[in-house]
Amino acid sequence: MYTAEVSRSNPALFVFLVDQSLSMSDMMADPDTAQPKKDFVADAINRLLSDLSIRCAKEDGIRDYFHVALIGYGREINPAFGGALAGKGVVPIGEVATNPARIEDRSKKVPDGAGGLVEMKIKFPVWLDPVSDGGTPMSRALTLARSIVAAWLDEHPGCFPPVVLNLTDGEPTDGDPAGPARAIRELASTDGNVLLFNLHVSSNPGPAVKFPDSDAALPNQHAKALFSMSSVLPPIMLAYTRQLGYAVTEDSRSFVFNGGAEDIVKFIDIGTRPDLR
Amino acid sequence: MSRPTVCTFRLPKRNAPWPEYEDDSGWLRSKRETLSDDDPRFLRVVVTDGASESMLAGRWARHLVAVFLRAPEDLATKDGFAAAYQRAVHAWPDEVASYRREREERNTPVQWYLEPGLAKGAYATLLVAEFRCAADGRGAQWRAAAVGDSSLFQTRGDQLLRSFPFEKSTAFGNQPALLRSHGTDAAALAGNLRFDAGDLAPGDILLLATDALSAWILKSSEEGDRQWQALSGFNAGDRPGFVRLIAGLRERGELKNDDTTLVRVNAG
Repeated sequence: MYTAEVSRSNPALFVFLVDQSLSMSDMMADPDTAQPKKDFVADAINRLLSDLSIRCAKEDGIRDYFHVALIGYGREINPAFGGALAGKGVVPIGEVATNPARIEDRSKKVPDGAGGLVEMKIKFPVWLDPVSDGGTPMSRALTLARSIVAAWLDEHPGCFPPVVLNLTDGEPTDGDPAGPARAIRELASTDGNVLLFNLHVSSNPGPAVKFPDSDAALPNQHAKALFSMSSVLPPIMLAYTRQLGYAVTEDSRSFVFNGGAEDIVKFIDIGTRPDLR
Repeated sequence: MSRPTVCTFRLPKRNAPWPEYEDDSGWLRSKRETLSDDDPRFLRVVVTDGASESMLAGRWARHLVAVFLRAPEDLATKDGFAAAYQRAVHAWPDEVASYRREREERNTPVQWYLEPGLAKGAYATLLVAEFRCAADGRGAQWRAAAVGDSSLFQTRGDQLLRSFPFEKSTAFGNQPALLRSHGTDAAALAGNLRFDAGDLAPGDILLLATDALSAWILKSSEEGDRQWQALSGFNAGDRPGFVRLIAGLRERGELKNDDTTLVRVNAG
């Protein structure tokens, strides 16, 4: 299980659910980040879409190994791509790569080879703009994700199991999401059950709990609920998580609570790492 | 050894068209300037496997074959191999410039998502083998150098005599040593470079193959099922048989779905 070839004839699906509620305008807990949570999460998603595009790029163009859906939930629940992709649901990565809403010129600090850092100009494609407005309708967002994944599985029954990554900072405001989460995890391809990743983004300075194998260290019912909604990491992703320096066991869940900046980036990276062929 | 004969067999990975084939191979039969008049029989074979994760991998593989086939150096030495590799690295920017020009001419200039891959460079394995003997056909030998997991097998009748650079099928993994288009420091190259040599007897068959088929040959030999012997028997007219064999092995999950190249040398 979780070993299906990812290829153009058997592509993988990633569904991102991005919390766009009002509280996402609060600052990240990490003082080094100095960004509202909505900005940091949008940057992380944009960087991920850029990385996926680069991973699928060959000299003759982009190979559609991946398809991506990007859903924002706050005042409304809608596809969150900007620009030419606005309103689109599942989009092949080649179409994503060739249609960013805009390409910004940004600078990045890189080692100068003499122990210091030097600023380098980079192109930064943007598909998702930060939004924070309204409540946290997580249950309805998960229900929408389920319908997207179910339709995908009808057409791709042998695919690497779709991965749904939910990035949120707060408690749901539309009821218990446990049922919709279970409905997602119960879907399956012939290669295994659909994976649900949950990332809780922090604006509190408390300790982060990363890929836990029990809910014992989690501080409240909300955190324990997110833990129980999250899939157990399959072996291929478990190995990669370990490689990134996290202490994990075979029972570790695809869940980070109170995650800081580095955890957000790594969490997304782990969730989008099936093997390419 | 009389005049050795060479046959090449290739098959792209399943569901991939030929333009995406990222292995390459070539052979050259000539008297090198460095050989004395007493050594008129000479054959050099080069096999490469471009790493699919890298940009322009197929072009880098073809570039390596072109440079190594015509290298005047003794490639079965560290210095000779390093000199040929450095020449390939120095000529690579012209290849990248050609690629950019081709894209411009097709009105599809290089986009932002291609730049990181081009900056990182292309990667490939490389195997070079040389066969030679004295004018009277005596003292026939092979010598080989390799970076990565493209392999050479020396067979005699139904025996697999030698395997280079690996002796066990379990040695094949997902991260072979690779030659990088942007250069590698001398210490790293020396650490990855392997050499071997052996004597040839009349009728010996040498099989040179990229990793998927190489791993299968060793596994087949280890399990004593002798399936690998089918490869020794293939001649130029047997290409459909090669395609059937590889497709069947892939279908049964016995061979990794990867570009597959086999160069068969009959020592004569």
